[in-house]
Amino acid sequence: MANPFNLPMVGRSLRNLVSRPATRRYPSEIRPHFAGTRGTIEFDLDTCVFCGLCVRRCPTLALSCSREERFFAIEQLRCIACGVCVDACNKDSLHMSVVSPTVHLHTGAAPGATRPGHEEWHQQQPAGSPPGSGDAAGGTAVAAT
Amino acid sequence: MKRTVVPMGPQHPVLPEPLVLDLVLEDEKVVDAIPTIGYIHRGLEALVERIEFGEFGYVVERICGICSFMHGMGYAVAMEKIMAVEVPERASWLRLIWAEMSRIHSHLLWLGLGADAFGFENLFMHCWRTREEVLDIFEKTTGGRIIFSVNKIGGVRRDIEDSELAAIVAKLQELGAGFAETARIFETDPSIRHRLSGVGILSLEDAHAVDAVGPMARASGIAIDTRLTGTHFYDRLDFEPVLETAGDCLARVVVRVREITQSIELIRQAVERMPKGDGAPVEVKVRGNPTGETFERLEQPRGEVIYYIKANGTKNLERFRARTPTFANIPAMIKLVKGCDLADVPNIIMTIDPCISCTER
Repeated sequence: MANPFNLPMVGRSLRNLVSRPATRRYPSEIRPHFAGTRGTIEFDLDTCVFCGLCVRRCPTLALSCSREERFFAIEQLRCIACGVCVDACNKDSLHMSVVSPTVHLHTGAAPGATRPGHEEWHQQQPAGSPPGSGDAAGGTAVAAT
Repeated sequence: MKRTVVPMGPQHPVLPEPLVLDLVLEDEKVVDAIPTIGYIHRGLEALVERIEFGEFGYVVERICGICSFMHGMGYAVAMEKIMAVEVPERASWLRLIWAEMSRIHSHLLWLGLGADAFGFENLFMHCWRTREEVLDIFEKTTGGRIIFSVNKIGGVRRDIEDSELAAIVAKLQELGAGFAETARIFETDPSIRHRLSGVGILSLEDAHAVDAVGPMARASGIAIDTRLTGTHFYDRLDFEPVLETAGDCLARVVVRVREITQSIELIRQAVERMPKGDGAPVEVKVRGNPTGETFERLEQPRGEVIYYIKANGTKNLERFRARTPTFANIPAMIKLVKGCDLADVPNIIMTIDPCISCTER
């Protein structure tokens, strides 16, 4: 028969009464991320050569790109942040960052950006390309909120 | 006597996951229990036909949010076996360390849920507070808290520096010292003893008969643990499975409590015995497509998991199959539930540590 006066939890509960809480006062106190934390995918249009290696490797089909149209797009809500595309990229065009401004902070809705989390980039066609194919926002990112 | 059928789940306050169980009652006694499997079937195994074998590891990890590292590791190890890839030694050691850390965080999570199920909410929060520190170590070393994406065929994607490893061991030992008090509460508190002792007894013979695995079997006195086979570098550690003989709910709690301390000790030994990091890569490049088939066994926190992989020389595997520990423990759970009081059903269900996401995939 267990001893009913053996109360091992009482001492700890009393200590907890006078100690600081284990939780944080979020959002006024935000826990900083660790150096190795994975985040969301960031894309650098200037270095990309639209080879499509990352698109082929993505397990969730979150990326799309077209060499002819100089176009690249990420579905951020589909992305599982595994980092396979970052490993696959030979040109260092893809990075992972916990403070990615492109996902949460974009406020301006742009033409073609119709879904939440959808980001797309268009690059101006190089000189001599067929007319009429480089009419999108040249060299800039467009993203939906 | 008139029989009543009470559906327990898929939504029930005590269940962490949607287990579906129809209880047939005579008054307050359970005379039969009918489980249904498939409520959260997601078809992950069939995805193997559409996703290339290299990327499928990230899908396998998502079978379950608690055993995610072990699932990724099991898939990677099995594929390395088929493709005859020699993994760098340090990568295997790192996998062992992360696997044991997964066990610590899974058991802490379960102890919290178990405490919540038998009405000890204060203890639930203590366990989860401790678990949070393990998750922080995971985030520091792998980049994720729940889904780590650190395993790949041919090794692991991140190395841990030796100084960082020493800091992890120090942190875990400090955590273990703090956990000793919680462990004492689980083992000696009279209210827990009163609630769990003698409830849902699975005898040694019954455990053999229903093929129980993991802590469920070890609480009944069966020394069954795939770590005993010595694969995945466990033969280089001093390992003895934690055994209890009572076979009741309390014994299953105590086995898990002691396995946490044991895992911390295993990580300490692993860090001591693994080769020092010399900056060499912890992964090798894998070329070609796999051909052949293989089985792989691992000891997950909930018990033994078996992976079967059949490859046919193309980019997509022909078959991927996982037999998860909860599936093996469901017959034991049904056996225990029959004949018990309705009020004891939540405790019995919880002490098998049901992971329905794993089971139904």
